[in-house]
Amino acid sequence: MRSIMRLNMSTLSITTEPVPDAWARYGGRALTDAIVFAEVPPKADPLGPEAKIVFAPGLLGGTSAPNGGRLSVGAKSPLTGGIKESNAGGQAAHALAKVGIAALVIEGVAADASARYVLKINADGSTEIVRDDSLTGLGNYATKDALDATMGDVKRYATITIGPAGEMGLKSAAVAISDPDGYPNRFAGRGGLGAVMGSKGLKAVVIVDEGLPYLAHADKDAFNAAVKKFANALREHAVTGQALPTYGTNVLANIINEAGGYPTRNFSDGRFEGVDHISGETMREVTVERGGNVKHGCHTGCVIQCSRYFVDKDGHYKTKGVEYENVWALGADCGIDDLDVIAELDRNCSDLGIDTIEAGVTIAVYMDSGKLAFGDGAGALALLEEVRKGTETGRMIGNGAEATGLALGVEHIPVVKHQGLPAYDPRPIQGIGVTYATSTQGADHTAGYSITANVLAVGGSVDPLKPEGQAALSQGLQIATGMLDALGLCIFVAFAVLDIPEALDAIHEMAEAHTGQKWDTDALMQLGKEVLTMERLYNESAGFTAADDRLPAFFYDVALPPHDAVFTVTDAELDSVHDFVADTATAMGISKP
Amino acid sequence: MQIELALFAHLTPYLPPAGAEDESGSSHARPMDLPDGTTVGQVITRLDLPAGPRIVFVNGRHAPDDHSLANGDRLAIFPPVAGG
Ligand code: SF4
Repeated sequence: MRSIMRLNMSTLSITTEPVPDAWARYGGRALTDAIVFAEVPPKADPLGPEAKIVFAPGLLGGTSAPNGGRLSVGAKSPLTGGIKESNAGGQAAHALAKVGIAALVIEGVAADASARYVLKINADGSTEIVRDDSLTGLGNYATKDALDATMGDVKRYATITIGPAGEMGLKSAAVAISDPDGYPNRFAGRGGLGAVMGSKGLKAVVIVDEGLPYLAHADKDAFNAAVKKFANALREHAVTGQALPTYGTNVLANIINEAGGYPTRNFSDGRFEGVDHISGETMREVTVERGGNVKHGCHTGCVIQCSRYFVDKDGHYKTKGVEYENVWALGADCGIDDLDVIAELDRNCSDLGIDTIEAGVTIAVYMDSGKLAFGDGAGALALLEEVRKGTETGRMIGNGAEATGLALGVEHIPVVKHQGLPAYDPRPIQGIGVTYATSTQGADHTAGYSITANVLAVGGSVDPLKPEGQAALSQGLQIATGMLDALGLCIFVAFAVLDIPEALDAIHEMAEAHTGQKWDTDALMQLGKEVLTMERLYNESAGFTAADDRLPAFFYDVALPPHDAVFTVTDAELDSVHDFVADTATAMGISKP
Repeated sequence: MQIELALFAHLTPYLPPAGAEDESGSSHARPMDLPDGTTVGQVITRLDLPAGPRIVFVNGRHAPDDHSLANGDRLAIFPPVAGG
């Protein structure tokens, strides 16, 4: 039976209840949304006692569904002020699901703000809550080491931790999840959820899944058949079977640069002259030469395996990836073209526990103010050191691109709903601009990855430089993403699903065979719509209006080389993206919280 | 006419060897001399690229195989790639 476990930090009490029938079809993002929607007042202080943070494996979590162990972390975001689902790999989702936990909800705030607590969930479902103030101020890596030292003979467990940024309540603070080797290097990065966890006095969660098998299925044979079908599709598709495992996500650097949409030096150019030094191809060469690992899954059961470890010149682990977004944010956007510097910045962000995308965008905005030259890697590292020390400058940087840009009077601040834009310029790639503008999450490429049809010729083809068809493209992808996030599937499966019809069938067949509930394609899309509907209604109550579904003015006014592109999707088209919300809300029987 | 040819990911090994006049140092791009009016498809045949889907850009815009190249164009060819 799936249950909801609640830890109240005000009383340090833990309760467990069954998942209510109304949420029986919800996991992952659908379940974090439903709980935040029902229980966190939209006007609540995101770091106050009314706020909650929710950790939920997807509906397929704890099973052998390929790429099915992603974790949703949900809360009201201190960065955007709206509802947030931040999605991460790592081992925690499977571990929680195997223990029987569909959602772990952290409520209240610790009475003593200087206390640091660790929640330990044992494989038999028993729990311990331990106060350990010696963890105060430790980075994610040192925190993980300290936790390891308490585990005795137990070998299999996952951790969820925050670094000093989360303890300081910084708006770009992330939540770290341990990977299969135990490194705390997978992140629910976006939206400042590390600060929500920190505000509660919770430094870490340890989930022991030693000896626990995968969950049982309603129909085992049907489940295994669907798993096989799905895995075959993922292996067969050129992207998920070849490009991603070989080069990792950073294989994108060259093609996005070629398309003229690789944001360079705070979104002032669409091509970076240093791309050859930091591309996925170069990174693979360097990593292989140094004896690093160039292909593994971020969690058990990943078939695609886009993850890898970057090693230093002596062959020692430095950080994971480095992922495309991180290489871009800490590289091209800051004018930095040295992979070792980028990896050092990435390692520091991971250890501090701040979102790498927000950090890079923020440093680029800081550079744009004239206080630091573009390309100054040592200066960028020094800024992260300020964050660690909690100085005034460090807090400004840690609070993100908008806070920094406003404080320094920077003209071009690339944010939507207060969240920094990711690694695709929305002027020459207009479909992603629609997602940035309209997503409930703030500027977030993963919310509706229009790069597929705009640039990559996956799932059809829509001219990236023209406004036509972009709203419909983004809408379809946002709905599909809501569904994948609710099931706990990595969104990279979409590359295969968009091109191979059997892959979509395999998803509802896995859902049906696992749960015993009736699932089909329509039900999957309905799930995606319900996710977005809860988020949209919540954001309206939190104070968002149509004016928040727009890009910053300079994307409409300032032409981007090399294509001299500006963003031309109309407001009416942007407003059409959520045209299904009213009907879906009626069908769900919900209204604004 | 001369174009700039760029190949990426699994296609990079199909690049012609760098000539002495190529000082760009790029690991993906080379100058390439072609008869006037050569199409994208003809370049692909000449390079003997493996069969299968490709993503082709001419000067940063998607281009079909029958697109005629002009002097000074940059032709970039990718196998299917993605990430995010
Ligand atoms: S494809 Fe990459 S991000 Fe997705 S589950 Fe596998 S390793 Fe993680």
